[in-house]
Amino acid sequence: MAKTPDHLRRRDFLRDGIWASVLSVLGAGAASLFARSRRENLVWQIDPAKCIACGNCATHCVLNESAVKCVHAYAMCGYCDLCTGYFVPEPKALTTAAENQLCPRAAIERTYVEDPYFQYTIREPLCNGCGKCVKGCGAFGNGSLFLQVRHDRCLGCNECAIAVACPGRAFKRVAASAPYLIKGRA
Amino acid sequence: MKKGKIPTPIWLLAPIAVLAVIVIFAARSESLFLRKLGPEYSYDIEQYSKIDPAMLVYRAVGEPIQTGLQQSRAVAAGFGKLYVVGDSKLAILEEGKKKEIELPREPTCIQIDNDGTLILGLTDHLALADADGVIQRHWNAPAENALMTSIAMDKDNVYAADAVNKLVWRFDRQGLVVNRIGAKETRRNVPGIVVPSPYFDIAMYPDGLLRVVNPGRHWVEAYTPNGDREWHWGKTSVEVDGFSGCCNPVSMVVLSDGNFVTCEKGLIRVKLYDPEGELIGIVAGPEQLGRTEPMRICQSPEQCGQQGFDAAVDAAGRVYVLDMLQNSVRVFEKK
Repeated sequence: MAKTPDHLRRRDFLRDGIWASVLSVLGAGAASLFARSRRENLVWQIDPAKCIACGNCATHCVLNESAVKCVHAYAMCGYCDLCTGYFVPEPKALTTAAENQLCPRAAIERTYVEDPYFQYTIREPLCNGCGKCVKGCGAFGNGSLFLQVRHDRCLGCNECAIAVACPGRAFKRVAASAPYLIKGRA
Repeated sequence: MKKGKIPTPIWLLAPIAVLAVIVIFAARSESLFLRKLGPEYSYDIEQYSKIDPAMLVYRAVGEPIQTGLQQSRAVAAGFGKLYVVGDSKLAILEEGKKKEIELPREPTCIQIDNDGTLILGLTDHLALADADGVIQRHWNAPAENALMTSIAMDKDNVYAADAVNKLVWRFDRQGLVVNRIGAKETRRNVPGIVVPSPYFDIAMYPDGLLRVVNPGRHWVEAYTPNGDREWHWGKTSVEVDGFSGCCNPVSMVVLSDGNFVTCEKGLIRVKLYDPEGELIGIVAGPEQLGRTEPMRICQSPEQCGQQGFDAAVDAAGRVYVLDMLQNSVRVFEKK
């Protein structure tokens, strides 16, 4: 039987349609792969403007020793002799004696600079991210102590256990290329 | 044993299954298995912030006056008017009316001269304005990085506290620098002023000596106009008669009877001291200042700068306390 022009058109239409579908699926896949390759990796970080130093960072991290540590923005620090992030509210003396220190783990080092200024440095291996010093500094001082997720420790969980428990909703995803939200920087 | 019968009795399996369910639920429960911080990790200054009502020697008058500014910085009272500076404005409040005047620079402090002239601190320099806030003259900045935080004057001089350079500039009445006061000078027994945050207040005392707050050392120091340091009062303590934190008192005003009113941040309290620095009583505590909410953690130098207070006194002895966080002025008078 001779082919009719109508029959040919239908077959061509079906063939072209299938090709178009295959090509569009392949195109979409390629575009998705391209977009995914271009998308930057994201990591968890604490927004210092929202953190209330509740203590959950110390207890809710899946790591036994939390990935959250206190960090110090030196540009904001007053280098106070009576540092309220270092000393208990009513210290017996402004010395490094354990009874005078606010941090239960002695995770802050006090170093003499010149009268009457002192520098305060976080001893990261000792810090558990409880935020007690953050409260002390923010209550009286310049708020130069704050908490950050340290990415040399963070496992990058898809659902961060601390973020779930954070009452201040301070945890957010930031670009891995700029993983820290440092106070005092625009 | 019959073929096909379950070897373990159901009465033995059932409790195990129930126990397994309990363990699974308990493991998901936060209260049972989560790590908890001990009491040594709590930060509590509530016990120190309580004020004995018997110590209150002033009472609040009327409702707080809203300044209408976003970031109020300083207050002055006199000639029946209340002046508040903040943002880039001067707000003049008089008998319920408010007038705002735009200023060319961010204002940082204000003082009223004996003739009603306003002396404004405009970040790095002083400016003179008439009682309506119209600027008549700008004085040269004594230093490029100066930050004027307080003004005082006597008959021949105007003094301006500079929080960045940690000293007081003494100007003559033409605006020329005469000398500097308070800069560290060991041979003159001047220990230097410690200013960890932008709170640095001064006031002229009736004895002719300038009173200078040394906030990092929790002192009020007395200086001659030439910069000789005479003595100081003030002690470091969270107890009610002392000053605590990195930088207190944040503000000070001298009353006509020679007593001092001081304002503190952190442990919020406004107190009355005698001329020797002995505590007389409390003007206001957190409750009287409407600051009963939980302690606030500031997150930037700007926010920390908003936590403080400034005080002024009028001819009738009423104390005006500016709350920089709430942008309001509360008025107190003696009981």
